[in-house]
Order: sequence, then C-alpha cells, then structure tokens
Amino acid sequence: MTVRDALGRNIEVSLPIQRIVALNSDVLEVLRTLKAEDRVVGVFSEMVRERGFWGALVERPKVGSWRDPDLEAIASLKPDIVIAYSRNPGPLLEKKMALFGIQVLRLDLYKVETLEQEVQVLGQLLGREKEAALFCDWHRRHIEMIREKIDGALTRPSVYIESYTDYHAAGPGSGGHEMCLLAGGRNIAAGLSIPYPRVTPEWVVSRNPEVIVKAAAYGNGYALKDRAPFNRRRDAILHRPAWRHIAAVASGQVHVMDSAIWTGPRAIIGIAYMVRWIHPALFPDLNPEALHREYLETFQGVSYRGAFVSDGLREAGR
Amino acid sequence: MNNIADDLCRGYKARADARALFLAAAFFLLLTAMAIGLCIGASGMEFREVIASLLKDTGRGHSIIWMLRLPRIVMAMLVGFGMGLAGAVFQAILRNPLASPFTLGVGSAAGFGAVSVILVFGGGFQTWYIACGAFLFSLISAALILAVAKMKRASSETMILTGIAQMFLFSSLTSLLQYMGTMEQVHEVVFWFFGSLSKAGWREIGLAAAMILLPFPALLWRAWDFNLLSSGDESALALGVNVKRLRMSAVVAASLVTAGGICFTGVIGFVGLVAPHITRMVIGNDHQFLLPASGLVGALIVVFADTLGRTVWAPQVIPIGIVTSFIGVPFFFYLLMKRTREYW
Repeated sequence: MTVRDALGRNIEVSLPIQRIVALNSDVLEVLRTLKAEDRVVGVFSEMVRERGFWGALVERPKVGSWRDPDLEAIASLKPDIVIAYSRNPGPLLEKKMALFGIQVLRLDLYKVETLEQEVQVLGQLLGREKEAALFCDWHRRHIEMIREKIDGALTRPSVYIESYTDYHAAGPGSGGHEMCLLAGGRNIAAGLSIPYPRVTPEWVVSRNPEVIVKAAAYGNGYALKDRAPFNRRRDAILHRPAWRHIAAVASGQVHVMDSAIWTGPRAIIGIAYMVRWIHPALFPDLNPEALHREYLETFQGVSYRGAFVSDGLREAGR
Repeated sequence: MNNIADDLCRGYKARADARALFLAAAFFLLLTAMAIGLCIGASGMEFREVIASLLKDTGRGHSIIWMLRLPRIVMAMLVGFGMGLAGAVFQAILRNPLASPFTLGVGSAAGFGAVSVILVFGGGFQTWYIACGAFLFSLISAALILAVAKMKRASSETMILTGIAQMFLFSSLTSLLQYMGTMEQVHEVVFWFFGSLSKAGWREIGLAAAMILLPFPALLWRAWDFNLLSSGDESALALGVNVKRLRMSAVVAASLVTAGGICFTGVIGFVGLVAPHITRMVIGNDHQFLLPASGLVGALIVVFADTLGRTVWAPQVIPIGIVTSFIGVPFFFYLLMKRTREYW
C-alpha cells in the first residue's frame, strides 16, 4: 500500500502490520486511540517517566531514546515497521533498518494541521479505519466549532507564548504559534524569523501582551496530585522584574500548560484552554477539562486525573 | 652604576605611564560602551526618556531602565571583568598561554554544579540554588587541582593536566545528566550553556560583585610575585617567592572569581582566554597593570557583545556566549598577525 509520510514522500508499505516499534509518545498515543496497542512490540525508553498514563505498555521492551535509539535492539524485536518523527532520528534509521527488511514510517503527529490526515493513514495501514474515523470526527468537530466562533470574534488579543526555556518565544513554525492562531490570539512573536527565538524581557514589556501562556514539562502531568508546580511557575513569571507593567501580569492573565496537551494528539485540549483564556466571553460553555476527560476515557481507555495547567488567578480555588 | 639604575627606573616609569594611559583609555571605553548599552533597547526609548527614567520614577520607563537594562549591563561588566581577571591569573600561575578558567576545568565543574541543581530541583526559577551549585563545584574542582598539585609539588604541568582531565570528566557528567533529563530540564541547561544576562537582577549582582571584586585587591597585591613567577619557578623561588603557596592561594581566589562570573549567567567562557592575551599584546606582562587591564578589556568585550547580541537581530537575541566569540576571535587574530615581537 502506498502512503504519504510526513516528509511528503510516497512510500510503499507492505501489509499486514503486526509488530510495531513506536519511537515517540505521539505515535504511541495514536496507536492506543486506534486500539492497536497490542501490536506494539517495542517502545522508546523515555516513556517510563509517564508510568500510570501508559498502563501495561510500560512493560514492553525498550529500544532506547526517541532521538537516538539502539538500532540493534529494534532489529532484535523483528518489527514489521518502525514509526518515528520526520527529523528524529536521522536518515540512518532507514538505511540500517533496510538491512533487516524493516520498514520505517515517518509521521509528525504533533502537528495539529496534519494530525487527522496522518491518523487516517495509520488507520488504513492497520485496518483500523473505523477507529481512525471516530477520532478524526471528534477532533474535527471541536476544531471547527472553535474556528467558527473565532472567525466571528471582533478582536485578536495579543499573546506572548513562551516555550519551555525562559525568554524563548514560540515564533512562526512552532507548535505554540499554531495553537495560538487557532485559539484566536495574536502572537507577538509572529513576525520573528525562527521557531524558538530568544528575546529580551524588555521586548516582552514593550509589546505589552494581554495574555501570557508558558509551556512546561514536568515529565508526567498525569501523575501530578495538584497544580502546585504550574502555579509556582506562573508566580515566577508574575514576579519577573518590571513585568508588572505588562497588561497580562496586571490582570492575572498568565497561564502555564503541561507538555502533554501542548502540541501532539492532545493539542486540541491545549487549544481549548487557550481559547478560554484568550476569548473567555466567546466560549462560556467550553470546558477543557471535560474535553480532556472525554478524550482520555473514550480514546485512551484511561481515567482522567493529574494536573495540566496552572490555576487561573481570577478563578483561583475553584 | 647609579646611572644605569636611574635609566632603568626612568624607562620603567615611562612604560608605566603608557600602561596607566591604556588603563584609563580602557576604563573610558568601558563607560562609553555601558552608556550606549543603556540607551539601546527593544522598547525604543529616546535618549531624553532614558535620562529622565534614570533620574526619576517615570513608571514603565523607570522600571525598564532600573530593573532590566541597568542590571543587565552591570552584570555584563562584572562577568567580563571576572573572566578577564581569572584568565590572567590562571595564565600567570601556570605560565601557560592556554590557561583559562575553562582549561582548568573550573568552568566545566561550575557548569556541572548548575546542571545538577537544575535536574534535582526542576529548574526554572531557582537562580540562587543554581548559583550555589555552580560555586560549590568550582570549589570542589579547585580543591581537586590543589590536592593533586600538593602531592606532585604543584608544578604547572601537573595542574594543567589535572585541569584538562577534570574538564572532560565534568563535561561528560554534564552530558550524562542532560541525556537523562526531561525536555524542560534539557532546555534549561541549554539556556545556561549559551550564557544569558536576562536573569540578572540586583540581588544576583550583589553576590557576583562580592565574589569577583573582593579577591581582586588580594590578587593585585601579589602582582610582583606573578611577575617574578613568569621568569620560572626556580628564579622566583631564588628571589624569595613561596611559589607553592602563591599558586595554591591564587587558584582558590581565581576559582571564586570564575564562579562569581558564571554562576548567574551561564557559560561566557571564551573571554577568560582572550582578554588577557589582547591586553598582554598591548601593554606587556607587568601584572600590576595586566590584572586590572585584562579585567577591563574582558568587561568591555562582554558589554559590547551583549549590546550587539540584542540589537543586530532585534528583537531576537543572539546568546552572549556566541557573540563574545564572534567579536573576540577576529580581533585576537588581528593582533596576533600584527604583533612584531613575541609577547608571551
């Protein structure tokens, strides 16, 4: 069967696929959505940090880091296919795997714009079209609902999106930028030229954003008991020198979001939170937490728990 | 006989005057660079606004000048001064042109200390813990060098080899931690390793100033001993210098200066190697002048590099560690090509 991968190449994949090595959390999550997790014979080693979320999948053989896996370990598992991101690991993966007759498929399931299309590709390859359609319909329904309302919005509040490293904005080409646009925000770093530019604190003060959203990765938001780590990080931003002159800080519109819902198959949850922060009046009924619960219970087969965002200052203690 | 002595004295005085002039010029240039840095920034304040904000509370402008620009520039000055000074001291006591805070592994050890703290505490906002980690490990590395040197008579070769071995050890340990860290931790480490002045506040400046400026008079006081050491351990010993003690105390002082320089801002290491060389090429090897002048040249390079790094590609910032190399290396090459005599 011929499919289009994340690099835009048409590649021939021989079927059936019974043994899969999943090299990143995005593909592993989608495989679970497609109810194909029993075909996973090898996983990237970092997934043990998200013990609890992955359930019994944690016991599957590890093949090393997602970025630089142990090719011998992969080969010894005799998979039909290895699924990786478009850029990581490098093209050596294909060359070495070809020696063992193992196919490589590259999918960037972290990109919101191509997520549905790639889920469908995976659904076709695994004979799980029905499951793929179920997820894509759900995803599309929510994205379209948000898009429609955002299109009618009169304003585009300015937003400073800070990626994991302090004072690194999310510029064009980054997942954070894409999410901000979908959520109806005007990214103050939209005019910059690289995806994760370092900026000065003074620049952020001078742009005076109305909302600030920061990405954080504590390894496992699913295992957190409360929002304290996110709140601490939010408070640190509120107290950055001279930042009290920023509208977002003055009005308490500073939020921190976990990497689990920041890009990836769950980006829709992150977008829903952003929408609530950027356009609260437009979406009085949108409940990101309920959406997340629905996703986890319906598609992942796990119960909802953990903490994924900081408390809103105006709704603190809620 | 008297005439020869008089001539020597007069010659020395004339050279000393020229060196004092260089010191004054470097100081003036540094003040100018700091003033320029203070006037340039992303918010596009005009000169009059900058002066007004500097003198009285104008709200936002006042905060920008006093809480963002000024701390950044003062920290750049301190870090540059510390690196230049520490580099000159390390080169003097080891009598080796390749010596710098990083050649001796002190910088790598400080880096490892910082990264360990980031990984243990989760990183992000615990600047003080990170600084303590950096300082603690730079002291450990200095202690290690001293311990090995003590066993092996503190020769400069032993100390350099110990330093280089340490540098690799701590770099590997840092890479291992980085490899095991989460995405956020890795990002934090990257931030630290490029060097950044964005997190410099007045409290940090206070501590960094104490660590960098307090050992300075003590080091300057030993300037003549460093001069004697440059003609060899035996000659210095014959002229009454306790070489072993000098080396030990200078390593501790220079490690303190190094830690003060990098614990709040990350790795801005290259200045420590190049600032003393640039200075030596111009004013020679008299440590009375070389030590303060290396510090001033280091400060000038870092202040200038920071202003350049945040303006050429504004509002994107080019990390300070990268810019210092970009402006330091060509200038260093230029002097290297232009010099007519062996300066080392």
